[in-house]
Amino acid sequence: MTVEQRRKLENLTALVLSTLAAAFGLFWLIFILGDVLVHGIGALNADLFLSDPAPPGIEGGGLRNAFVGQIMITFFATLIGVPIGVLGGTFLAEYARGTRFARIISVLSDIMVSVPSIVIGTFIYALLVRPLGHFSGWAGSIALAVIMIPVVLRTTEDMLSLVPWTLREAAFALGAPYYKVIMKVVYRGAATGILTGVLLSIARVAGETAPLLFTSFNNNFFSWDMNGPVASLTVTVFQYAMGPFEEWHTQAWAASLLITLFILAITILGRAIIKWRYRS
Amino acid sequence: MTQEIELETRDLNFYYVGGVHALKSINVQIDRNLVTAFIGPSGCGKTTLLRCFNRMHDLYPHNRYEGEIIFQGKNMLIDGIDLIRLRSSIGMVFQKPTPFPMTIFENIAYGLRLKGYRKKPELFERVEQALNDAALWQEVKDKLQVNAFALSGGQQQRLCIARALAVEPEVILFDEPTSALDPISTAKIEELIVELKERVTIVIVTHNMQQAARVSDMTAFLYLGEIIEYGQTKKIFTNPDNKQTDDYITGRFG
Amino acid sequence: MGITLRKDPIDLFFSAVTAVAACSVIAIILGIVFVLIRESSLAIGKFGFFAFLTSTDWNPVTESFGAATTIFGTIVTTVLALVIAVPTAIGIAIFVTEVAPDFLKGPIGIAIELLAAIPSIIYGMWGLFTLAPIMANHIEPALQSTVGRLPLIGILFEGTPMGIDLFTASVILSIMIIPFTASIARDSFNLTPAVVKESAYGIGATKWEVVKNIVLPYSKVGVFGGVVLSLGRALGETMAVAFVLGNSHKITSSLLDAAATITVTLANEFTEADSDVYLSSLFYLALVLFLMSFIVLAIAKFFLLRAEKRYGR
Repeated sequence: MTVEQRRKLENLTALVLSTLAAAFGLFWLIFILGDVLVHGIGALNADLFLSDPAPPGIEGGGLRNAFVGQIMITFFATLIGVPIGVLGGTFLAEYARGTRFARIISVLSDIMVSVPSIVIGTFIYALLVRPLGHFSGWAGSIALAVIMIPVVLRTTEDMLSLVPWTLREAAFALGAPYYKVIMKVVYRGAATGILTGVLLSIARVAGETAPLLFTSFNNNFFSWDMNGPVASLTVTVFQYAMGPFEEWHTQAWAASLLITLFILAITILGRAIIKWRYRS
Repeated sequence: MTQEIELETRDLNFYYVGGVHALKSINVQIDRNLVTAFIGPSGCGKTTLLRCFNRMHDLYPHNRYEGEIIFQGKNMLIDGIDLIRLRSSIGMVFQKPTPFPMTIFENIAYGLRLKGYRKKPELFERVEQALNDAALWQEVKDKLQVNAFALSGGQQQRLCIARALAVEPEVILFDEPTSALDPISTAKIEELIVELKERVTIVIVTHNMQQAARVSDMTAFLYLGEIIEYGQTKKIFTNPDNKQTDDYITGRFG
Repeated sequence: MGITLRKDPIDLFFSAVTAVAACSVIAIILGIVFVLIRESSLAIGKFGFFAFLTSTDWNPVTESFGAATTIFGTIVTTVLALVIAVPTAIGIAIFVTEVAPDFLKGPIGIAIELLAAIPSIIYGMWGLFTLAPIMANHIEPALQSTVGRLPLIGILFEGTPMGIDLFTASVILSIMIIPFTASIARDSFNLTPAVVKESAYGIGATKWEVVKNIVLPYSKVGVFGGVVLSLGRALGETMAVAFVLGNSHKITSSLLDAAATITVTLANEFTEADSDVYLSSLFYLALVLFLMSFIVLAIAKFFLLRAEKRYGR
């Protein structure tokens, strides 16, 4: 075998291996998505959205309480987490731009993005659940907000940094104070980017289970009361899938499908906005 | 003295992604052991033409050639041509120095190893030879195991020339090789190019008309994807046939 | 380029508000450390530090607790998951950046991004209902009758294949981190300057030679950072493994045995802890996990920053 043949063989082998790796990775992922889709679609029905859970082992019932609970928890988490994240990101990209302090917060936020979410759950439990003596929807929302803050903060910082400095100078030249420049010029320039960051952070927390286990806990009944335990789809999936009843398993598949579709839809929307806005 | 033809394009057309017609019916003959320069204003297609000769465009999607490029008697635009072999016969030096992330020695030895040289003494001999040919040996002989990024810009560029020379190509393509260098490094590289034509055929793209005049034997003036005029450098620079060529050379446009 | 013109009182107020918001990140980190230490002080006082980390006891009845079994489970699942995921992810990254035909590059890249967004509970539930039976009925018996027969390695595959074990958990964990690792590896690969790749192609290197000798050396720091980041993520993953690990507090020699990780223990026992020492020990576990992942993630960030500084934009 000549050197050239050997090199070509080596090349071919490597290319085939990398193709196989891609096929292997995609195989599992298609398998999972397909499985969730097939089991989930079969389990969808109107009762799922319109009724609350039936007593264990009894036919029928739905997950209305968990849908509403999930929406409430995620909504309030967004309401708390997004303003703090956006304002914090503003400080890093504007008032503290280029300082060592901004670098440190930025790096710490990046680390916090990947910190185990179950630890956040124990933290909020110690802070809000144990002292008050009961689980609550608020505790769940705050746990998710704590996860959201670093995500939103970092995207905001990045998006504001993309706004050209000359644009700010132009506004300063008109005699505007910095806060007005930020509100009127910088935020406007970065609005779609920040919105995308917010969407992706919602996608991130909407699928979280671990931080809700000890905070919002679970509730088999319909409840608007954020001061008491509130059901969520993710915790319900955990409870139902680990439970003994066939009916529960079916509903867990249905809930999984809906969580997946919701998160994929938001993620795709977010990416589409980025692509549309920053297509250059 | 009759010249042998090293490279020849026949009715070469080239289209970038989206059908941008970058080269229009190019017919050019590159003579062996001469330096041929492509000049012309930015966007005229001179670099595009250069990159056809080693089919660099194939690395990126949706680029399309039409026509023929004859090298060693064969059309190298047909399917199934061995690009690996083609590229080791037609070397290239880029605008900015592109040392590989390795030691100085390994940068040169890399191409040799690809060609199957394994024995240390032989590798060493050829690396030394290539560095000598690129007028770099005296400067780096004591630091062959140092990372190539430690060299100055001009030294890095000569390293890249040595790297191209080491695999003994028939042709070396230079894509504005001195545009990122200071005047002294530029002078060294120009000197080198003139010396090297004894051994290889050289095609050089340059923005710098004095450089084309100093180093080349033949010059082609390109404009808007076409060759406007091609001939001996002396003739092109002193008495061009075409008005546009004259205007460009005398600095009236471009 | 900080701006020093802060004469306007509203501006002063606004900058103060943003500063407070930015400091919330520090407050959260310090808060977590402080609260977890306070809550686990009872267990720290009772079991010490090294003794807690090395004790294999986990007994709510005798109220004797140690972290060794859960640390063992955490490390085994994480390492095994990385062993499967890292080569696959790098293969995918090579495929997406260099090998794939152009019409596939975009779609596969998007697929990877989307799959990284699927929440871990989906992976966990799928693992329980679909993968675990496949593992128990097909893959694990097949492994037992092949590599399980080999000396030394055989010990890893002893026991009855149930599908609820370290091996299944690691496989699910690896499937989950593959897209994550692949997308970081791909981003690192893309930092290699095109013109350096071109010069390697220019002296006749094959695709594989360009990847091996140019792209990988260029991106190794970033890829390494990405692998460490995946490690940090995998350490703290709860729901992907909670369904299929069995939460059994023991150190086993066989991968086909049930085990527990720190996260799974927390998920299963936190709300059931009936004594102060028990709950305090669980907080102690959370503290250990937080410190472990924080350190690993900080190391990852250090390498990623270095890679960015060296070759970045």
